[in-house]
This record gives sequence, structure tokens and C-alpha cells, in this order.
Amino acid sequence: MHLVLFFIFGGFCVAGALNLLLQRHPINSALSLIVVMTSLAVLYLLLGAEFLAAVQVIVYSGAIMVLFTFVIMLLNAQREERTHGSRAAYILGFPGAAALFALLTFIFISNGKSLGFAVLGPDMVSTSQLSSVLFRDLLLPFEVTSVLILIAILGAVALARHHEPHKDESKTQGKER
Amino acid sequence: MSAVSYSQLVWVTLPEIALVVAALAVLACDGTVLRGAAIARRRGVAALLACVGSVAAMLLVGSGPASFHLPDGMLVMDGRTRVVQVALLVLTILTVLLSEAMLTPAAEGVAGGKTAFTHHIGEYFALLLFATVAVLFLVSTQNFLLIFLALEFLSLVLYILTGFDKQSQLSTEAALKYFLFGGISAAFLLFGISLIYGLSGSIDLSQIAVAALQPDPLWMIAIVMVVVGFGFKVAAAPFHLWAPDAYQGAPTISAGFVSSSSKVASFFIFAQVLTLGVFGAAGSGMWHGAAPGWVPVLCVVAALSLLLGNLAALVQTSLRRLLAYSAIGHAGYLLLAIIAHTPQSTSALLYYVFTYALTVLGAFGVLAALEAQGIDRIADVAGLSRRAPFLSACMLVFLLSLAGIPPLAGFFGKFWLFGTALNAAPQLGLFWLVMLAILMSVVALVYYLRVLKQIFVADVPANAGAIHSGLVTRVTLGVMAAATVVLGCDPGLLIRWVVR
Repeated sequence: MHLVLFFIFGGFCVAGALNLLLQRHPINSALSLIVVMTSLAVLYLLLGAEFLAAVQVIVYSGAIMVLFTFVIMLLNAQREERTHGSRAAYILGFPGAAALFALLTFIFISNGKSLGFAVLGPDMVSTSQLSSVLFRDLLLPFEVTSVLILIAILGAVALARHHEPHKDESKTQGKER
Repeated sequence: MSAVSYSQLVWVTLPEIALVVAALAVLACDGTVLRGAAIARRRGVAALLACVGSVAAMLLVGSGPASFHLPDGMLVMDGRTRVVQVALLVLTILTVLLSEAMLTPAAEGVAGGKTAFTHHIGEYFALLLFATVAVLFLVSTQNFLLIFLALEFLSLVLYILTGFDKQSQLSTEAALKYFLFGGISAAFLLFGISLIYGLSGSIDLSQIAVAALQPDPLWMIAIVMVVVGFGFKVAAAPFHLWAPDAYQGAPTISAGFVSSSSKVASFFIFAQVLTLGVFGAAGSGMWHGAAPGWVPVLCVVAALSLLLGNLAALVQTSLRRLLAYSAIGHAGYLLLAIIAHTPQSTSALLYYVFTYALTVLGAFGVLAALEAQGIDRIADVAGLSRRAPFLSACMLVFLLSLAGIPPLAGFFGKFWLFGTALNAAPQLGLFWLVMLAILMSVVALVYYLRVLKQIFVADVPANAGAIHSGLVTRVTLGVMAAATVVLGCDPGLLIRWVVR
């Protein structure tokens, strides 16, 4: 059962990724990215990581993709135009990616035994494991990161907020704008 | 695995918590109660809150546990770290006090005068406090994860502070350059750290030190990457390209903060990483018999910084660019202390970097006080001693101390640092580098004296009136200049604290 599901959603994932690259219209690419993200979530679920799967759906397929589509619609992006550069990217990119894929497959198959095994089980990726890492072992870095994100928000607001013309500054404003 | 209770964790991070609370209080106060109040009032309240927060943090550092070691080296406190933290907090308070000059609108009718560079007073002071949180974490950790996080945290705040002057294109350009270079160097650092993690299986410096005793060519690649990452932070020579633009474009006090507080913390943690973490892969940088390791890498970086910083400073026309290139030169001197990597040289490094931070912040403070008059080029300060005698006297002390003239603090710092570097290697092995450093300090004297000659000897341009500066600025600068003189005359005052 697991294996069947794995092949179905693994196939969806790869097909979505290829479609993402081949589509010429950004909105189609964004939609196929949603397919990729959602099938990845199912793969996580198959590995027993329920929490990660939920987060994947909520954050990636939900929040981030909504942002993507919003930006594409706001910018009113059209079909991408072909240039010499993009043709060169096709000619070099596809064989390059294929070569890398072949190389990695070859190494994994030929050296598979010496690489050892990764043990994945319900204990490895469960929510309680994750939280004990985040909130116990690495609590301090976690908290520092939260302040860091606060700084990023603060900085974005301070730098991007429209400059309010002030009384004693109306002269310089007129000169510069 | 972790044997620290939550209350213990809160207890040991109380200084940082106090600063974060102060920063949030500044933001809240500025955004609610003082919304619509006059700039001067908002500035006063924000500065007061920031100072209170820093003093509280200082008291907490002083009264907190004298030494502790959290698992994985997450937070490590000993006597020396404590001194560095207190010094960083003092620098923050001085920066806050000197910001007054920058945030005061220029007097009416001054040609080329600039108004206050920002209206986001609360954000500005809050960011200064957050930057202090980052440097406090940076100096008190021996764990690569937290080192990287704190460095990124600090860099992020500094990028924002650099680009804070939205009216100036230079400031935006400087922030963008700083950000792009910073991003690339962070990638290098992270790559180096992951290689080290791969080699040692740990992100704790003390465990890495054990693993580093096993020679492996990969260590060299990892170390070079880490040196690139930190070299960017301390503005050492091949990675310095952001510094002149950032110093020139940033609001003057932000530049002062970049060159003082951030420098102290970065140098301290750089020395910690190399001497605690990868001590086993040190190698040797002696002229005869160099051995591969991080020491020869640093020797090259130091020599380049000394040459490029000091020689390029000779031809600068902008005062702030001159200070930027001189900062690159000073990074060269400071690297000398890391190269020596003896206990004495670390003490000398701390003495040098403290006094350097004090004087360079003072120099930027004077420039900030002058900026209201639109003064940036060296030619602009002609005859300044007649227009602003007090500021000129302070500038004299700061620049002579940077040049290393006795009896000022900079002289003793250089003297001690060169002495420990000579003693570090057998048979005067580092003599070539020390000789280069001494030669370059002579070169440095030339460009500092060129500025002083403009200030004290050149004629006052016609139609230039007296320059007035705020009381707080003058008192702060006076205290800093006095400290420079006192620390130079009696270095024992500071040595007591930096010698372990």
C-alpha cells in the first residue's frame, strides 16, 4: 500500500516539477509548484512525519503559494519571451541536469552498500521529537531566530515606509522628489 | 541531553532580555505616547530608555553568575567574556549619546546643512539595542550554530542601520553593497562551518578542537572559508570592498557603530574560533619555515590589509573614506595578535580593540557633530580649530591615538600588540610582519597629520562662522577623549581587566 502510494505521488511530484519548468506562462508554473508541494506533503506523511506534512500543506502549499500567485497577478506577468540566452539554457541545462542525475544515480546504486542506511521511523520525525529539539536542545538559537525575524520585519517597515513630509523638511523634499 | 532548566536559561540571558525589553519599550513609547511629538522630545525619551536598558544590562552582566558553561558551548561566560560584554554595552551607550548630534535639525540658514537623517527615531534606537543583543550573544557563545545566527543577526541590523538615511542615495547604495557582500560572505562562512561539522561531527568549539588535531586536507578548505566569512565582518583586505562605501554612505553614527561595536565582537569571536576551535590546525607563519595551517592564511590577509588600508588612505579626500581605509589597516594590526595566538596576545588584542573602538567612535562622533554643516571632505575642515575649538581638540586626541602617538591609548595598544607578536614565535619568526606593521604605522601618521594640519594650520575660509554642537555631544566626546588620554597614561586600568 505504502509503495503504491509512494509511486503515485512520487510520479505526481516529478511530473509537476517537469511541468513547472516547461510551462511558458508563470501562473501555470506556479500552479504546478502547488502540485509538487502537496505531493511532497503526502510523501512526508508516508514517512510518518504527520507534523511536517501538515506544515508543508499549510505553509508551502497554502501561504507561500498564495503569495506567489498574488505577486504574479499584481505584476500581470505575461508569457515569458524566448531569447538566445534561454535557448542556450535549454541546450546546456537539460543535458547538464540529466548528467548530474545519471551521476548521482550511478553513485547511489554502485556504492549503495557503503553509504549505510538511514533509519526513519515514527520516533525519528514525530512532533514530540521535533519539539524537543526546537524547545529544549536548541531553545536558545530558536529564540534568537525569533528576535532576528522581528528585526527583519522592523527593518522592512522602517526602510519601506513612505517618508512622511515633515514641517521643517518640506524644502528639501521638494528639491529631491 | 540538555541539562539546563528554563529558569536557568532565563537567568543567564537576563542582560540580553533586558535589552530586548528596552528596545520594545522604545518602540512602544515612540509609536503610541509620543506619536506626533516634536523630534527633540522623541529623541530624548528614546535615548533615555536606551541608556536605561543598557545600564540595566550592564548591572545584570556584573551581578550575574561569574562563570557558567551551558551544554554544547551554547553560552559560555568567564571573566574575560564579561569584560568584553561590559565594554560593548559602554560602546552602545556612547553611540546612543552621540546620536543626539545626528538627530538634531540643523540651525536655520546654514548653507549645505542637513536636517535630521530620519524620522524613525524609535526604530533607530531599538535597532541599536537589538544590535547590542546580537553582539552580546556573539561574544558569549562557543557554538557554531549560535555564532552564525548572532553574526547574521548583527549583520542584518547593520544593513538596516546603514540604509537608514532614506534621503540619501549614497546610503541606499552603501546598504545594498554591504548586503550583497554580506550575503556572499555568509555563504562562505556557512560552507566552512558545514565542512567543519562534517569533519568533526560537532558544532561545539571544544569538541571541534579535539577533532582538529587529526590532520586532514579538508580542514584547510574549511578554515579558508571561515577566514573569508570573518574577514568580511572585520573588513580585512581582500574582503574589504564594502567598507569604504558603507562608511561613507551610512549615517555617520551608524558607521561609527559598524566600526566600533561590531568590530570588537567580531574580532573577539574570530580569535575564539581560531584559538579555541581549530588551534590544532594552526601551522606557522614564520618567514623561515612556514607550515600550512590558518596562521599563514591570516599572515597573508594581515599583510594585505596593512598595505592596502594604509596606502589607499593616503589618497582619500573624504574623511569618512579615510577612516574606512584606516580601519582596514587597523584590522591588519589586530590580525597580528590573532596570528601570535598566545594568551598575552589575546589580552593585547582586547586592549587594542577596546581603545580602537573608543577612539574611532569618537572620531565618527566629531564627524557627526560636523555633519550638520555638510562637512565631509578633508578640505572642508580647514581652520576648524577656530570655528569649533572643542571638537577640534577632541579630534586631535582621537586621530593621534589612532596613529599611535604616546602618551595616548593607541600607542600603548600598538606597543603591547607588537611586543607580544614578536615574543610569540621563536627566533623572531614574525619579525617580518611586525616590521611591516611598524612601517605602515609611519605611513598612517602621514594621513592622520594631513587632516590635523587642515584643522589646525590651514586658514579659515571666508564667511565661515562658528560651529555649535549640543551639550550632550560635547560632554560625551570630552569624556571619550579624556578616557583615551587616561588609558594611555595608565594602561594598567584596563590591563587589569583584559588579562585573564
